[in-house]
Amino acid sequence: MNSNHHKERVGVYICHCGVNIAQTVRVAEVAEAMKSNPNVVVSKDYKFMCSDPGQKMIEEDIKKHNLTRVVVAACSPQMHELTFRGAVERAGLNRYLFQMANIREHCAWVHSDVDKATQKAKALVNAAVHRVVYHEPLTPLKADINPATLIVGGGIAGIQAALEIAESGNKVYLVEKESTIGGQMAKFNKTFPTLDCAACILTPKMVSVSHRKNIETLTMAEVEDVSGAIGNFKVRIRKKARYVTDACTSCGECTTVCPVKVPNWFDEFKQQRTAIHKAFPQAVPNTYVIEKQERPPCMEACPIHQEAAGYVALIREGRFHEAAQLIHQKNPLPIVCGRVCYHPCETECNRGYVDQPVAIQHLKRFAIDWEMKHNGRFEPPKIEKHRPEKVAIIGSGPAGLTCAHDLALKGYQVTVFEQHSVLGGMLAIGIPEYRLPKKLLEMELDYLRGMGIQFVTNMRLGSDITIEELRKHGFDAIFIAIGAQKSVRLYIPGENLEGVVSGVDFLRRVNLGISREVGRNVAVIGGGNTAIDAARTALRCGAKKVTILYRRTKLEMPASPEEIADAESEGVHISYLTAPVEILGKGGKVTGIKCTRMQLGEPDASGRRRPIPIPNSEHELEFDMVIVAISQTPEVETLNGKSDIHLETTKWETLKVNPETLQTNVPYIFAAGDVVLGPSTIIAAMGGGRRAAESIDKFLNNEPLTNYTTHMVRESVPRGETFRPHSYAPTFKDTPRKERMEMPRLDPRRRAHSWEEVELGYTEEQAMQEAARCLNCGVCVECYECERVCEPKAVNHAMKDEVVELNVGQIIIATGYDLFDASKMVRYGYGKLKNVLSSLEFERMLSSTGPTGGKILLEDGREPRAVGIIHCVGSRDLNYNRYCSRVCCMYAMKFAHLVKDRTNAEVYQFYIDMRAYGKGYEEFYNRILEEGVNVIRGKVAEVVEKRTPDGDKFLAVRCEDTLIGKFREIPVDMVILCNALQPSKTADKIAKLFGLSRSPDGFFLERHPKLDPFSTASDGIYIAGCAQGPKDIPDTVAQASGAAARVLGTISKKEIQLDPIRAVINEQYCSGCRICNNLCPYHAIDFIEEKKVSVINDALCKGCGTCVAACPAGAITGKGFSDQQIYAELEGLLAV
Amino acid sequence: MEAKSVREKEQPKTKETFEPKIVAFMCNWCAYSGADLAGVSRLQSSPNIRIIRTMCSGRVDPAMIMRAFELGADGVLVAGCHFGDCHYIEGNYKTMRRIELLKMVLARLGIDERRLRLEWISASEAEKYARVSFEFTEQIRELGPLELRMN
Repeated sequence: MNSNHHKERVGVYICHCGVNIAQTVRVAEVAEAMKSNPNVVVSKDYKFMCSDPGQKMIEEDIKKHNLTRVVVAACSPQMHELTFRGAVERAGLNRYLFQMANIREHCAWVHSDVDKATQKAKALVNAAVHRVVYHEPLTPLKADINPATLIVGGGIAGIQAALEIAESGNKVYLVEKESTIGGQMAKFNKTFPTLDCAACILTPKMVSVSHRKNIETLTMAEVEDVSGAIGNFKVRIRKKARYVTDACTSCGECTTVCPVKVPNWFDEFKQQRTAIHKAFPQAVPNTYVIEKQERPPCMEACPIHQEAAGYVALIREGRFHEAAQLIHQKNPLPIVCGRVCYHPCETECNRGYVDQPVAIQHLKRFAIDWEMKHNGRFEPPKIEKHRPEKVAIIGSGPAGLTCAHDLALKGYQVTVFEQHSVLGGMLAIGIPEYRLPKKLLEMELDYLRGMGIQFVTNMRLGSDITIEELRKHGFDAIFIAIGAQKSVRLYIPGENLEGVVSGVDFLRRVNLGISREVGRNVAVIGGGNTAIDAARTALRCGAKKVTILYRRTKLEMPASPEEIADAESEGVHISYLTAPVEILGKGGKVTGIKCTRMQLGEPDASGRRRPIPIPNSEHELEFDMVIVAISQTPEVETLNGKSDIHLETTKWETLKVNPETLQTNVPYIFAAGDVVLGPSTIIAAMGGGRRAAESIDKFLNNEPLTNYTTHMVRESVPRGETFRPHSYAPTFKDTPRKERMEMPRLDPRRRAHSWEEVELGYTEEQAMQEAARCLNCGVCVECYECERVCEPKAVNHAMKDEVVELNVGQIIIATGYDLFDASKMVRYGYGKLKNVLSSLEFERMLSSTGPTGGKILLEDGREPRAVGIIHCVGSRDLNYNRYCSRVCCMYAMKFAHLVKDRTNAEVYQFYIDMRAYGKGYEEFYNRILEEGVNVIRGKVAEVVEKRTPDGDKFLAVRCEDTLIGKFREIPVDMVILCNALQPSKTADKIAKLFGLSRSPDGFFLERHPKLDPFSTASDGIYIAGCAQGPKDIPDTVAQASGAAARVLGTISKKEIQLDPIRAVINEQYCSGCRICNNLCPYHAIDFIEEKKVSVINDALCKGCGTCVAACPAGAITGKGFSDQQIYAELEGLLAV
Repeated sequence: MEAKSVREKEQPKTKETFEPKIVAFMCNWCAYSGADLAGVSRLQSSPNIRIIRTMCSGRVDPAMIMRAFELGADGVLVAGCHFGDCHYIEGNYKTMRRIELLKMVLARLGIDERRLRLEWISASEAEKYARVSFEFTEQIRELGPLELRMN
């Protein structure tokens, strides 16, 4: 490792760089000092080494002195390494037998002490001299150039570059994250200084992008991953679902039916648009798009995925018929669900975080009732394609009916078998008349009968018919949904006394009209909905007193709160924390219950606090009838009957099924509902029935039982008060409160003894008011109205995001800018004071397609009498951005001109320095001065709202006029802010993805600020437009064309040379420890089993050297950065 | 590597006259460019820092740092990209682990671990580079010349 042993002929050249280096470093002294190194043959200093004579000098010296190595001490190698390598090569030396010492950026420019700088320069040059001796001749790697180019960002820069490259016949992928290309320029009204209409000069270019066959535009797309290097990048792009296909003719019919209105981003949120929309009339692609930010939680929570938000939105718009149609599309039992659903949708409703959930269930009932009242019964759908396969459904409860409905819709021959004499399962025998009138249930059944579903009553699987017999009758699949109808016993003494009945039996008896016999003083044991139903039914049957005994408190009670409240208001007494220990009797008949008082202990497995008996609290209560309604289980033991087929069960006596496919251990038998879940809810059973129908359909089509489109309810995510239901909505905290509409109910005194329906339903006005409380979570509420009216059938709500892999040779980043958020500068009142506008808001106001149709108007619709334009908002300000945004002065003048042109208002410009630096700009400045615009030099201190003595509001702009040295307060009606241009919000992500550096202002860093503003430090990745720094349209177009020229230049070379900085393993030294294998982020190192050594794949290696540093055997060499070279460099560096 | 006795000192160094020699290993993409930007912006930095460029801070072998101390460096700065910014995805994570381990070794060899500093400097953080260069130089000045005893 001692350079003295190595004999090379080194030439050393110290550059003055004019005075840049020479004024701080004594260059001649450095050159002289290097001569003492035995390897150095020539050492010189020269004014400009990079100049032609400088390079010639090196070339001549190489020949004359037979130099074998060259060192140039000058600027950063990132600046001129390539230049000097070229010179070395021209003289016949390998280009890598050269080393550069950075004595300008790292020395002369950053030090002022000449002695110290000279000393350091000597060290740096000496290091290079030591290092270069160990340089080896290397051959550059070659890479083919894939002629395709990726352009990220579809603004004017991206469009310009795309067109330039496409013009040459090469392929371009233009990726844009919004739904249209055009970028910020598309929002502008006119462009300075020529006052061309922005749309007139931009939209033809946009159209030409869409017409070019070799430009593939990917809108709503974002790059997710980039790998590879110049010539061969691999890019993964996510194309977000647009939900509208290319078939869209852009007729706009959909926007007339969409019930959701949100502010349009394109109009800077100053104009409303529908959820299905087009950013602006000239958008490219000229296809509508549906905005879906997140599925509304109500729909996610619904096991049948009912479009709750959709029909609520339609009711809000007064379109009740459409709402009812929408409900019926997915819900085979809408009347039932509107009345007795457990409504998990409301539990998850985001409105619940604001005040109370939207009364979704009541609204559903309203829509269905309205439809029945106005249009009579629902017409069963026509089954389009009949199929020969037969399916037997065992049980006619909600699970069975839903499954039957879905399968019948698909064309299967469906027969439903019911053990009782009436259809509907628990809906018929469990739910009392006053909650769900029987005639309404009959309407639902009629609808299903109309679909061709066969019903067989009084047929019980196991006793009346077996599975084998069903198979013999040709049923290809069987769905078991027998529910959970067997009462769970209390297991306390006295349960067999006369007068003790189960809740299920009691309700069945009453519902089937067998008997309404009831005691005078009735106890109901349990806290679920069955207990409440039994208690209220007992009252209606004539009981004088009904008491519910529940062992926990109201908080833990599983029954729905509305039901509990209704029961209490009807006079049912509920005794909490009371548990029966024995049912007392006399002569075989019930006389009372011995109870114990309970207290709540630790939470149990269900999360509810476990009740613990209080010792010595036993007491006796008198009753003449006891209804036990603590729980139910399925009757699975009798299912198999005499059959040989054995269905597996769980320890909870439910059927064992695959939770996803709902298939039992017998492949053609599926099961869902309470028989699988245990006692659950109607809607959960319906969800099971729906999933089972999809499974059975897949099974009968011999498809794998995967990829379900039906719904499995996701776990709910709690939201904080700062959550927004969609990005345009206020936070929960800021949403105005509005009480939930009360459901009109029958007078408790009247209803306690009546079988009339208790809940009366909303009126139209009440329903619309309640529906207006919906927050439109996720923007699109999936009402499918757009799909219904779309004639070309272009709407597809099922569309999914698409991931595209592209291979490209080069990449241009043109991701543009974002506007500075002026609300950060509180003193200008943006976001708080009316008529204080951002520059883009004003651009939209000027546009004929904007919120005011191009008129300059105050919020109250008046024309302003005076307008103030404030320059440098967020730029040239140490608190925000130090840089000048370059375009603001000019667009401020454009604004001034347009205000003068379109109104009679006085215009005041408040500026710091007027920067009119471009072609025709100064002339434009003079023009607006001649037009009588007032210009005031001085930074505005604040904008405040004031009133005239008549109470007229106006804005006062306060500033110091630095030209006259006076404080001024200018009254205006409107203030326009000239917001700074800031790096795009995505800049950080883009920088990380593409490995770009950013300058201190946050914009992407160019390779050289003057000589190479198009390239980045990463080969093959270029930048254009405001992504690199604020600039106006002409500069953007120029830079984009420049970047395109770079791309084309590389493409025309077909092949490029890459620095061979790569790691290489010397197999002789490799011990096969494999430490390096996992270190490589590019998986470039493979282990060869036969040889027990690792090897590096040249094509994947990027030359970072991490493995070189890690190899314990020193078997890996980093070409261009070898251990020898770096150690020699260290020696040289520290020898001075 | 030849064994040396106590390092020769040209002149007795007091705190005032002591000019530390500091080697800075800097990755090509972030730290080295950050130092370049300091130059372009004419931001004064410490002349005691002498920079060696590597492609990635992950290239820096702990043995190189030891060799730098052996050859007379009073301090060593290793600077790379911020986490998530590494041009080679994750080289800087490996650097961090190596430096942490090496600091433990340094302490056992009697070298104050403050003589080794790891910094993340992006290509835009010229000011940070300048600040770190002075801070570290002052730190080393405070610690005095490194007296390395080797037999």
